[in-house]
Amino acid sequence: MQLFFEQILNGLAIGSIYALITLGLALVYGILRILHVAHAAVYTVGAYVGLAIYSRTSTLLLAVPGSMLSCVLLGIAIERFVYFPLLKYPPYVPLISSIALFLGLEELCRIVAGPELLTFPATLPFPSFSVAGVMVSGTTVTVYAVTIAVLAALWFVTAKTEFGLAMRAASLDMEVASSLGVNSKLVVDATFAIGSAIASLAGILVGIYYNQVYSTMGTMPAYKSLALIVVGGMGSTVGTVLASFLLGLGETLLISFANIPLPRDALAFIAMILVLMWKPTGLLGKR
Amino acid sequence: MDYFATVATIIVIQAIAACGLNVIVGYAGQISLGHAAFFGIGAYASAMLTTKAGLTFWQALPISLLISMSLGFLLGLPSLRVREDFLAITTIGINFIVEAVFVYTPFFGGALGLGGIPRVAVFGSRLGNSQFLALCAVFLAITLMICRQFTRTWMGLACFAVRENETAASSMGISPVRAKLSAFVLGTGMAGLSGALYAHYARFISAGDFGFPISISMLSMVVLGGMGTLAGPLLGALIIGVLPEVFRSLMDYRMFLYSMLLLLMIRFQPGGLLGEQSAAAGLLKGILNRRRASSA
Amino acid sequence: MPSALLCVKNLSVHFGGLKAVDDVSFELGAGEILGLLGPNGAGKTTCFNAISGVYPPTSGEILYDGRRANGTPPHGMAKLGVGRTFQIVHPFVGLSARENVIVALGGDHYRGALWRSLASWKKRSIADEADEILRTVGLLDMADRRVGQMPIGNLRRVEIARALALRPRLLLLDESFSGLHHSEILHIEGLVRHIRDTGVSVLLIEHNMKVAMALSDRVVVLDHGRKLAEGLPSEVSSNPAVIEAYLGRGGSGNAA
Repeated sequence: MQLFFEQILNGLAIGSIYALITLGLALVYGILRILHVAHAAVYTVGAYVGLAIYSRTSTLLLAVPGSMLSCVLLGIAIERFVYFPLLKYPPYVPLISSIALFLGLEELCRIVAGPELLTFPATLPFPSFSVAGVMVSGTTVTVYAVTIAVLAALWFVTAKTEFGLAMRAASLDMEVASSLGVNSKLVVDATFAIGSAIASLAGILVGIYYNQVYSTMGTMPAYKSLALIVVGGMGSTVGTVLASFLLGLGETLLISFANIPLPRDALAFIAMILVLMWKPTGLLGKR
Repeated sequence: MDYFATVATIIVIQAIAACGLNVIVGYAGQISLGHAAFFGIGAYASAMLTTKAGLTFWQALPISLLISMSLGFLLGLPSLRVREDFLAITTIGINFIVEAVFVYTPFFGGALGLGGIPRVAVFGSRLGNSQFLALCAVFLAITLMICRQFTRTWMGLACFAVRENETAASSMGISPVRAKLSAFVLGTGMAGLSGALYAHYARFISAGDFGFPISISMLSMVVLGGMGTLAGPLLGALIIGVLPEVFRSLMDYRMFLYSMLLLLMIRFQPGGLLGEQSAAAGLLKGILNRRRASSA
Repeated sequence: MPSALLCVKNLSVHFGGLKAVDDVSFELGAGEILGLLGPNGAGKTTCFNAISGVYPPTSGEILYDGRRANGTPPHGMAKLGVGRTFQIVHPFVGLSARENVIVALGGDHYRGALWRSLASWKKRSIADEADEILRTVGLLDMADRRVGQMPIGNLRRVEIARALALRPRLLLLDESFSGLHHSEILHIEGLVRHIRDTGVSVLLIEHNMKVAMALSDRVVVLDHGRKLAEGLPSEVSSNPAVIEAYLGRGGSGNAA
């Protein structure tokens, strides 16, 4: 039973990380209808930049904002120089460019930082503790805290601010939003900035949680997060978060308690195909 | 000569798969990112049938094709019924799942892969390297003929219409699912053929040969050469196949250079080298016209 | 009217809470031109999409040729002889005008036995058939041209040609006159009358009231998804409720 609770906590932490990575993808898909595969490369870059600053300054207070800033700039650059000029083409054109960009950035990380696995030995502000014999580590608590903070902030921005209203309007229909006086270019920039900043946080968190940073750390998240936005309902942020937690929990529990002969990474795709057969619009998607 | 034959054979084999992907992406406009899965299914089918069931390559070939096309049908059907963005994602999923099945099932040799795949024999004599190259070239020629013929069939025209505008196509009496599925099955069949040839070329296969990066490289061939053109996938396979030989000294940067090449290509020339409004195609046409004019 | 080709009974199409079409009924007889009018957002195009099979009706019935057609997909409606054009043109831009028409000539090849769909469409007889239809709409001289570069007037004709190639019994024209010059409008008006004279029923959505009133045998006016009025053009144009619906929104009805 103790193991079961530990696995649940573990699964929730993994689900949190999935949610943080996938949110950016869902936001971008919601507004531009582009499958932003290169988002996972932003996440990898975030981990590397965070680690680089941390290893020189030994403080996360500089590493986190530094990493977030560079990811925001990278995200906006990708949108401006790659996606925006390609919006007039069929959707596979930006998609292919995004995959190419993803592979290129991943390779660039490997060439610059080297192929070896780096450690991220950061100390976190939360101590480990145990409740009724169930061990809760400080890193797990940090993952929860960051996720809750990000989700709350995002909810506040989208639901309570004028900017959030503009974002929602633009995600319904860009042209209509523009005609109503919404600065759609600014909204798109901001969407990429927010998504990339969250990805940078996710990169640093994963680096610390597993104590490793490597150039292909974004590969599985890149494709798994695509499956997640499909399962959640394309462009539905709530659905995406829900799908992320379900997958994190489902994966962890299935792997530890059921003897399945498949790797954990294939599960997301199997779940996706099952969901699509049952409900083609995803869990919370609308037509 | 042997080095040339080895490189040329793999290029020809990949060109066959690229032609198949071109039917799906170029003709029907459906983005598939899991083509390597069907390439792998053809390879494993032929490998298993020849090593474990004791069939010859020629007996195994129709069965392998049937298997890859049937799986293409079964896996394509749920993916093609949903929105077009989904197909890209579901095909990625198919690729990862198929690869996982090859790695995790002892029946398929597991992580060790399958070895001892026989060479192809014609009239009882085993083909040498250059003879096998010739055989692959014949299959490529047949593939190209089928592609060309497909564009002349009503189903091919239906695929074009769906690619251009699905809403309008369906109001012209075309069932979009049927059109897309026929392109998908034809394309996966070509991938299966290519895979079967690959198995007997490599004579040892493992799941890693059919992973997602291979799908990306096949898509790069189609995009680079020109989607929807007949010769585009050929040119693309040639370029992607020759590049690593040329850039051998830059091995470490190879993937980086590839991805940047693909990015620049799709960003500035989405139609590919032989596509419409392409600088290269314009140049080529100019030269051909001048030739024709001077010979007339 | 037992001879009605199309009979729409209490049709409703709802999207979430939005009642795009709400309890609308009308009939269209054989060889009749019926105008479907109404201000922007009145539900005309949604009505079209329901009839042509793009959206399944939320409730109500669509009877085509006496048979219930609810939920028949667009390609099924095309097979039954319903041709349509689109308000925002949907040409096959990479194909030539002739090829655009040929796509619609393939009806029988797209269903049934596989071998039929593997026959070739590149035949002289098929090209001639397409050219004949292009001649009817006045585009024969541009048959080989890719439609991607054509102006809107020609694209509207390509769409009508494609719909005619289905050998329809019912033609749905969604604002086929919008964006056209006066001379083009006259040409297409003549074309629509000619099509009707060959026995085809025409249901048209039109924004230009002058065109709609001149062309239609009868009109149905929608507003906010509901039927506001129905009758002869002369009756409807003097109906106070109709005038109110148009003038109340800043007067696209001034031409009436």
